[in-house]
Amino acid sequence: MKWLALITGLLATLVLAVALGPTRVPWPDLLHSPIVWQLRVPRALLGLLVGGSLGVAGASLQSLVRNPLADPFLLGLSGGASLGAVAAIALHLPGPWALPLAAFAGALLALGVVFRLGLVGGAELDPRVLLLGGVAVGAFCGAVTTAIVSLAEASELRNAYLWLWGGLSGASWDGVRVLLLYVPLPLAILFGAARSLDLVVLGEEPARYLGADVAAVKRRVYLAASLLTAAAVAAAGVIGFVGLIVPHLARALWGGRHRPLLPTSFLAGGALLLAADILARIVAAPREIPVGIVTALLGVPLFVLLLKRWTAY
Amino acid sequence: MRLAVHYAGWLLALVTGACGSSAVPRRGPAAHTGATRAIIDDAGRSVTVAVPARRIVSLAPSITELLFALGVGDQVVGRTTWCHYPAAALAVADVGDGLNPDVEAVAALQPDLVLLYRSALTEVAARQLHMLGIPAAILRHDRIEDVSRTARLLGGLTGAEAQGDSVARELDSVLAAGPVGGGGIPPRVAFVVWDTPPIVIGGGSYLDELTHLAGGDNVFGDVRSASATVSLESIAARDPDWIAILTDNASSSKPPSWSRRPEWQVVRAVREGRFLYLSGDLFGHPSPRAPLAVTTLRRQLRTAP
Repeated sequence: MKWLALITGLLATLVLAVALGPTRVPWPDLLHSPIVWQLRVPRALLGLLVGGSLGVAGASLQSLVRNPLADPFLLGLSGGASLGAVAAIALHLPGPWALPLAAFAGALLALGVVFRLGLVGGAELDPRVLLLGGVAVGAFCGAVTTAIVSLAEASELRNAYLWLWGGLSGASWDGVRVLLLYVPLPLAILFGAARSLDLVVLGEEPARYLGADVAAVKRRVYLAASLLTAAAVAAAGVIGFVGLIVPHLARALWGGRHRPLLPTSFLAGGALLLAADILARIVAAPREIPVGIVTALLGVPLFVLLLKRWTAY
Repeated sequence: MRLAVHYAGWLLALVTGACGSSAVPRRGPAAHTGATRAIIDDAGRSVTVAVPARRIVSLAPSITELLFALGVGDQVVGRTTWCHYPAAALAVADVGDGLNPDVEAVAALQPDLVLLYRSALTEVAARQLHMLGIPAAILRHDRIEDVSRTARLLGGLTGAEAQGDSVARELDSVLAAGPVGGGGIPPRVAFVVWDTPPIVIGGGSYLDELTHLAGGDNVFGDVRSASATVSLESIAARDPDWIAILTDNASSSKPPSWSRRPEWQVVRAVREGRFLYLSGDLFGHPSPRAPLAVTTLRRQLRTAP
């Protein structure tokens, strides 16, 4: 019943995302209009994939580091991606895909450094080391980003920041195709680790006694979740709150077991981002609001409403 | 992306600028008369200036250009990093950024007048300069009428009344003449200054004013702010005849790299390669050369391929 509601909700949001927009496309033309086919449909699909990826990455990382505050960007990825993007702008890197590729490279770099830090001295991705490493790498990247931005012309700075706030305006079928090829593997790895994550949440010692190969699970989950996030950030910039709030909403409604939790987080993340993007596109039309602002405006009140239930476990 | 990135720089210049013709005849060096003049600047502050001002620091590219157009370029002792026009301005000492000025560097030049662009950021600097005993005036400089008004004001403060008046009169006459239409439907233009997310020039901006005077129609003229993030869908739906972009070198321009991105193909003008390359030098900020900008834009709008 819950599943039916969630899937219906997502499909309804998807239909609305295609039907609604800053320009009025008459209903009979909806299936022929290039505005719908070339802009709204790929944008809706991209929103679904990005929101879903952030939801799953957030849920997995929260369990991995056993910290309810963890979100996909906590471990330094947003800092790395931002640094990549700002460097691409500052260096005037050519080509239509320079920005997303540079952001992806930056995220991978941060991911690599944090991962390496997590293994220092045989620490085997100790959650505390990961969190501290992520914060440190993020802060370092942030400092370099700010240094670049402070030396750049003011309008370049503004544009870089606009990109960092996140948005789906760069959506195209090419982007959707790339994500459709990329996302299934890390998603499959995370879904496959659902049972082990149930154990890891209990603590690493108990998980080991219960037969989980904790070290291997942690590596797999960390890498898969980070790769999902890196793709999301390359496609749509840093969209906050989806990866933080959606897993908690899903837990509040579905409980903490990962086999239902991860797919739920995907569907709910996709739906939340789609809904936010519809508002971002239409409330101030023809102007557009950064979608990350809307995800916060929608997500935080939902979060507060469910806080009571959430604190119960 | 390079062009888009680089010339998005002009977006700010739109908000911050004026420029000037370097072809103005030079006057002799101004002599201090010991007189002072009290003005109310555009932030409503009262500023007392010893006239004529002989050591001026200009903290906006547009104001630097206007000063050179008034023929008092040799009274300018400091400029921002972004003051590139006219070429003679490059010889003036660079004090860094104009919106977030380095007050110490400005004060070190011992100016007798500092000119700042009006923004929340510059008020603090103006107050600090005032406390150091340096007269600092904040100027609004966003549209042709601002250039005209400022030309008279600065002419009076720098001992170039006649030149200030002549610059102002020429601008006023262009404004009074109104749009120079060629009949028929005005060509429709969208100024795209950034691609992800798409940022366009709205109404109330200098470029919107120029487009109107050149007999064109800015398709985002209904957007109140000088520039705005808009959805790509709106650009496609408003279907401009031209996409205007500001470039370094208008003669050897090629379409911006974002125009090759698949999602932009929904916009007819992008698909058909209908780009207007406007020299950032001439169009980048409010300028005493606005009449030339209007004529140039009008010619480009009418030479449809």
